[in-house]
Amino acid sequence: MTIHRVIRKVQRFEGWFGGSAVLCLIAGLYLGLIGSPPDYYQGEVVRIMYIHVPLAHTALLAYIVLTIGSLWYLWKRDPIVDNMCQAVAGLSAVFTALALGTGMIWGKPTWDTWWTWDARLTSFTVLLLILIGYLMLRTFVDDPEKEARYGAILAIVGFVDLPIIHFSVEWWRTLHQPQSISMRGVSISSGLLVPLLFMSVGMSLLFSYMLMVRTQLLYLDRLLHAKKGRLLSQFHLSKSDS
Amino acid sequence: MTSFSVIRWIVWKDFVTELRSRETISSMVFFALIVILIFSFSFSMDQQAAREVIAGIMWVAFAFTGIIGLGKSFSTELQNDCLEALQMVPEAKGAIYLGKVAANFAFMFVVEILLFPMFVILFNLEVVEEISLLLLVFFLATVGLSAIGTLFSALTVQIRAREVMLPILLLPLVVPVMIAAVEATKGALNGDPPAMYEQWLELLAIYDVVFTVVSFWMFEFVMDS
Repeated sequence: MTIHRVIRKVQRFEGWFGGSAVLCLIAGLYLGLIGSPPDYYQGEVVRIMYIHVPLAHTALLAYIVLTIGSLWYLWKRDPIVDNMCQAVAGLSAVFTALALGTGMIWGKPTWDTWWTWDARLTSFTVLLLILIGYLMLRTFVDDPEKEARYGAILAIVGFVDLPIIHFSVEWWRTLHQPQSISMRGVSISSGLLVPLLFMSVGMSLLFSYMLMVRTQLLYLDRLLHAKKGRLLSQFHLSKSDS
Repeated sequence: MTSFSVIRWIVWKDFVTELRSRETISSMVFFALIVILIFSFSFSMDQQAAREVIAGIMWVAFAFTGIIGLGKSFSTELQNDCLEALQMVPEAKGAIYLGKVAANFAFMFVVEILLFPMFVILFNLEVVEEISLLLLVFFLATVGLSAIGTLFSALTVQIRAREVMLPILLLPLVVPVMIAAVEATKGALNGDPPAMYEQWLELLAIYDVVFTVVSFWMFEFVMDS
């Protein structure tokens, strides 16, 4: 059995993505943690922003990739696209959870609370619930083709829903009480922007690298299962012949 | 047979089944009554406190009972391989979807109409002037719940642990419906001027249109085999 040509391409280029991710992240961490000045209001605490904001960006990027992959799968029904979707869904869930976690850690010193039902926190929580639902759904379907199809449907419906969820939650909060704590309180100066840019690019590259590795892994796992099935059936046939 | 008659036959079939067995609506109503009972234990409510929380309690009860109805909608089709028969209908699969949405909507709306007087009596609500607005809120929110719920009922019916997966997948996706329905109901029950909450009605209407279209389109992929 030959390896899929997309996987061959991925194997050739993944090193570049991983390497440049490491370089960008090292540069970003150095500039963010040591090179940049502390914030006027928040002091040293602001430095968690260089992790938190890129994580949140990458989580959203991952969900967009998942949606495109899902549409592509429903159109072409290529199993390798589904391997990509499965890989990206897991990564998206991890990045979303990490964004929420770092946000809570940042919230404790600045807002003096771990959690508030702020619009963005709430819509990110709903996003995480949708992604966990997606991963659970996939484990409960026996037929791989059906698993891929159902996952794609859920991802697309979720993608359409996310903006509506975001707006409804935003209205809900702003109607109840004026937002006492706003993310826009932090004005971005260029000294903060450069490390943030490095970290965002680096995090996206890291995500791409992880996506490539994980897609390969799932693809090879599928090949292995197919091969195992064939060998087993050959074994049973030869036994019944003798 | 045209697509329109497919829709009509599906609705007719679901109504007749329900009239003969009386399973879905009765189980939904009794479940909702139990939910109301448990909520009244959980919050000690005078009339003032009731006004604050009653809209939320009402929609939690409606959403949970709705999920019971939605789950039964397709799981009854598993008996005698009726689901496969539906998949073999030569007309567009969207017709089956619309028929099921109409039937699910009717069951949920009937249950809400039956339950609403209970809320009025048990929690001493004054609703006479606002009744038409409340019915509009019920209508719009129930269309939204049944539009997306029917899709996920069809999707979860063929997987393991479907009774668990339907609410797990559905509830995060209907967050906008729940927020909008609760806020609009609260506004109407408080006797606020409609201008204060009409944006929630608009949100519900947009949600209904968007998810009827998206679910109609996605239903083709759920049913193809």
